[in-house]
Amino acid sequence: MSSFKESSKAIFSESPGKIALRSLRKDKRSKISLAILGVIIFLSFSAPIYSHYIAHTNPFVSTLDATVSVNGIAKPVLEPSTTGLGLGITPIGPTWNITGYFIGADSQGRDVLARLFYGGRSTLLIGISAGLLCLLLSLLIGVISGYHRGWIDAILSRVLDIIWAFPVYLLAISLSVVLLTSGLKIGVIHIGPGSFALPIFIIGIVYIPYVARPIRAQVLALRESDFVRAAVGTGARSSTIIFREILPNILPSMMVFVPIIVALSMLTESALSFLSIGVQPPAASWGTIINDGLGLLYTRPMVGIAPGLLIALTAAALNLYGDAVRDALDPKSRTRGD
Amino acid sequence: MVDYSGKGITKILAIILEVSHVHHRPFIIKSALATAALLVLALAGSSASSAAGSAALAPYDAKKAGGTLTLVAQAAAGTLDPKVNYTAEFWQLYQASYDGLLTFSYGSGATTFNVVPDLAQALPTVTNGGKTLTFKLRKGIKFSDGKPVTVADVKASFERIFKVSSPTAGSFYNGIVGADVCLKTPATCKLDKGVVVDAATNTVIINIIAPDDSILSKLAVPHAVINPASAPSKDAGTTIIPTTGAYMFKSYDPNKSLVMVRNPYFKEWNHDAQPQAYADQILYKFGITPTAQVTAVENNQANWAFDPIPADRLNEIGTKFPNQVHINPLTAMYYLPMNVNLAPFNNLKARQAVSYAIDRANMVKIFGGSQLATPVCSFLPPNFPGHVDYCGYTKGATPAKPAKAWAAPDLELAKKLVKESGTAGQAVGIVVSDDDVNKQLGVYLQSVLTSIGYKATVKPISGNIQFTYIQNTKNKVQISVTPWYQDYPAASDFLDVLLGCASFTPNSDSSINMAGYCNKALDAKMSKAKALGVTDPVAANKLWGEIDQEVMADAPVAVAFTPKQLDFISAGTKNYLFSLQYKMFVSQLIVK
Amino acid sequence: MLGFILRRISAMLFVLTSISILVFLIFFATPGVDPAARIAGRNADQEVLAQVRHSFELDKPLPFRFFSMMRHLFISQDLTSYVNRGAKVIPQLTQAIPATLSLVIGAAIIWLAMGIFFGIKAASSTKKWIDPTIGFIGIIGISLPVYWLGEVVNLITQSKLHSSVFKWVPPLGYVGITDNPFQWFLHLLFPWLTLAVLYAGIYVRVLRNEIRVVMGEDYIKTERAKGASEKRILYKHATRMSLITLVSLFGLDFGALVGGYALLTEVVFGIQGVGKLTFDSLQNFDLPVIMATVMYASFFVVFMNAIVDVLYAVLDPRVRRV
Repeated sequence: MSSFKESSKAIFSESPGKIALRSLRKDKRSKISLAILGVIIFLSFSAPIYSHYIAHTNPFVSTLDATVSVNGIAKPVLEPSTTGLGLGITPIGPTWNITGYFIGADSQGRDVLARLFYGGRSTLLIGISAGLLCLLLSLLIGVISGYHRGWIDAILSRVLDIIWAFPVYLLAISLSVVLLTSGLKIGVIHIGPGSFALPIFIIGIVYIPYVARPIRAQVLALRESDFVRAAVGTGARSSTIIFREILPNILPSMMVFVPIIVALSMLTESALSFLSIGVQPPAASWGTIINDGLGLLYTRPMVGIAPGLLIALTAAALNLYGDAVRDALDPKSRTRGD
Repeated sequence: MVDYSGKGITKILAIILEVSHVHHRPFIIKSALATAALLVLALAGSSASSAAGSAALAPYDAKKAGGTLTLVAQAAAGTLDPKVNYTAEFWQLYQASYDGLLTFSYGSGATTFNVVPDLAQALPTVTNGGKTLTFKLRKGIKFSDGKPVTVADVKASFERIFKVSSPTAGSFYNGIVGADVCLKTPATCKLDKGVVVDAATNTVIINIIAPDDSILSKLAVPHAVINPASAPSKDAGTTIIPTTGAYMFKSYDPNKSLVMVRNPYFKEWNHDAQPQAYADQILYKFGITPTAQVTAVENNQANWAFDPIPADRLNEIGTKFPNQVHINPLTAMYYLPMNVNLAPFNNLKARQAVSYAIDRANMVKIFGGSQLATPVCSFLPPNFPGHVDYCGYTKGATPAKPAKAWAAPDLELAKKLVKESGTAGQAVGIVVSDDDVNKQLGVYLQSVLTSIGYKATVKPISGNIQFTYIQNTKNKVQISVTPWYQDYPAASDFLDVLLGCASFTPNSDSSINMAGYCNKALDAKMSKAKALGVTDPVAANKLWGEIDQEVMADAPVAVAFTPKQLDFISAGTKNYLFSLQYKMFVSQLIVK
Repeated sequence: MLGFILRRISAMLFVLTSISILVFLIFFATPGVDPAARIAGRNADQEVLAQVRHSFELDKPLPFRFFSMMRHLFISQDLTSYVNRGAKVIPQLTQAIPATLSLVIGAAIIWLAMGIFFGIKAASSTKKWIDPTIGFIGIIGISLPVYWLGEVVNLITQSKLHSSVFKWVPPLGYVGITDNPFQWFLHLLFPWLTLAVLYAGIYVRVLRNEIRVVMGEDYIKTERAKGASEKRILYKHATRMSLITLVSLFGLDFGALVGGYALLTEVVFGIQGVGKLTFDSLQNFDLPVIMATVMYASFFVVFMNAIVDVLYAVLDPRVRRV
């Protein structure tokens, strides 16, 4: 647990947070990745503006009869085949015209670019919420488990083991059937059908072992450290020790987890969208657009490729930022001579 | 415990990125069952390349025999037991391997709906007011294990229908004398009075409790084939039962492949019923995605693809390989059952609004275009007994004053009807199967229902359970999309089966009347039409036509379109013939 | 030590039992999955439905069904599928294992080779641009959704360029190594590469960081002060130490993949391995097969987990107390 050792040593000089922030600000990777993320977030949240004022389209309504003007000629958005036996209907390809069907239409005749912008909103929203939920729950479990040890720890560890080895797909498919129709009621919590709460909930839970375990290990080590023992010796309350001594010391590693877990959550969201769980049509996420695009891979590959690239780009930016944060907090892993 | 996962954090990437998606076959069993007696119509094959019209099978050409026929499919069709399996995928193979007393004829066009004698020497002599059918079993026929086919095997085979709980035991064969007891206690099923055999004269007498206008068809389908008396008295599953036809099964692994080879004991006895096969061997490979199937056929690595061609490959095969594409009409429909016992569709105006609002041409577009489907709004499909060309739910028409055919949706009227019904603003869930076509249909409907004033959501669920899910009233499904393929060309198979009171069982997964529609007056009329069918099929069909219009005025369902069958075969595959009953004849394909 | 191992085994059993119960309960809580109606066929008579339900013991109480299923799975080992009646579940599983092993071992060789080579390169290179470049490519590797990558690979090799550059690429599927070793290789080449991209990305990053951390340790500084060559320090000390981390990570990954977590690669490339079997059984709601594959997969995950734990306990006695 090098980061912890590092920061506890630094307690008496400059605050470790300040050092980290300073080196993060200097880091080129963090600048690049934040710029990419900024653009993606901006475009995603300007989705309504784009579709309403620029493309003049509603990407949540099927427009199988729509036409679009290409070079002054009105063309149907869904073109029936005119060659050979005339089999099949093909959505219009990229018009490269920003005012409509820039990268083409999907099988419902909807503007794919507008859907990509809206899809980004869902994907980012779910990714970030699920990531934060996961970190919060992991922190809770990790700290309780590591601080209290004993039977509480034993139980929580087994729970983590179960989540770790549990088949995600089964959970996802089954829940989707249950939830799609009636929604889920657990006490006062009610998750409506098609609600984003569902994918957030599932993704948030799936990742808990991956974050909670290292946190628990860190807390265990901290619990044995001299300054915590000293605090316990003086009769300080558990909550005081946790908030004063333990949390500040595991915060750096939590910070490292944030971008990585958000990236993972986003990738998971896109994967779960395949299982009809989470974002429900006609709403869009990058995952559902990839899914729509797979049905058009041979005629309009752009529909499936574009959202995949966006996911990869966003995940890469997040991971890059994660690297920068990690290095800022833990200078040892940086290049020699630094 | 140890912190290895700090480094292993990225491991989850692997796990999660591995979640996936695949196109899969809808669970719907596509099967067909028919009676020639009732089929008084020309089902002209609108095939792109094969000759239309009706013809008998050409004589066998031994010079063209040989080779391996390779078929590819996404998944196997479950049990290989011909008495249990109820899928088009395997019924197609049974026609070339198993035989009943009767079967559907080889040939082309309407001929293929004819019932012809198979293991029986001739069609049965019917006596006792239609309640006794007397057959004479052919002599000298052997099972593929070398044992002769006897009347004892025939009797055992009928008892086996009940012992293995065949899906149609209670619907097709419940009329056989003694069937009621067999249905209750299958293990000890004895049909001593229902199937009377005499080994000395090789006679089989089948007694039924009441005349049945479709009994010959029911005896011609695979569930009535003759198995050895020694066949297991439970579902044989993946184990192989000896055949009598041109092929026998050699091996079956549902996750991998099915192999059929020539039956060494087979000698042709009726060219129309069980002709000699061309390919020496059939290799059916499973686990291949529809798009990979198309590629395999294009590259000559397979002779034929089972699954529907993915939408994005249609133009390609229609343009590059027009001579390898065969399109034939199906007597089937895609329709939207609306739950008449649940808001908002317990309101007639709400149901009619949906019928007016859906743009059937757009739904055809989603299905693959006008070459592959035709918009309809009558319940009985075109070219079907009892069908009348009419449409009560097109622009400018009403159920009372129908137009000839569907032309355009009437959204204004639909919106008005929704308003009048007082159901505007209500939540409506559309449950569809999650394969590509059905999901797209659902998304389209969501858009339409929203535009006429509902708060519509689409709920795609696994195609393997959607069909049973939408049947169970416990699941409170308001509206869904589902196809229906004929069992036999009789109007009762559509109207009575799908909308009769007897087909509605609340809280059961087997309640095919998904609309939950039960109209006692119409039910009585349907019974009358069925009874009339035994003596006067023409008058009966006229009555069915009237029932069709009366039902649709109530709009318990909205019919969308009637689909067509597209077969894509490889360049080297010749002699493609289409059966209205079992689709392509596998044994007649020439690969050499 | 023995106590620790025993405790670890009992924890394993507890986890596996819990998972089997959870899977069972989730299955029967899902509406529409009752296999009786699907087995009985469309429009089956209610009496026939009852018979089918009875023959599958579906009319018995849940605990009875659970124990009966476990007995058939583990003791008599004759559990049969709900969908492909008569198809025994265990042979299906054992037949799927060679395909999965072929896929995973092949991919593992590729990603280990790439991971180790580029990991060391990134950590040791004196050229300024090498480390960030490799780091960037590694990030791309871990950021690509695998199912999407697989589909794009298929689009290129099976369709767009199949008539020219990729004419030699065989159709999707799997050919056994004993049937035809060359075809086995050709069929698996792209699945290997696709699966390896992600893991190569992970391993490059992990190895590079580990080496960097070890290089900063005091004893390396001592070695350097003693005049050991940079090469010797890199290979003899830093890489060797870092490989311990890599091996434990590999253990976990390998266990999960052999257990069927290469599901999507198998599905996209039509390889009939354990992952595909799991996926198909989920799509079919075929509980006996789901149960068998889930038990198999979670066994590998939990087992490798335990192995890694025990290894760490051997190396670091402090762990045993907690």
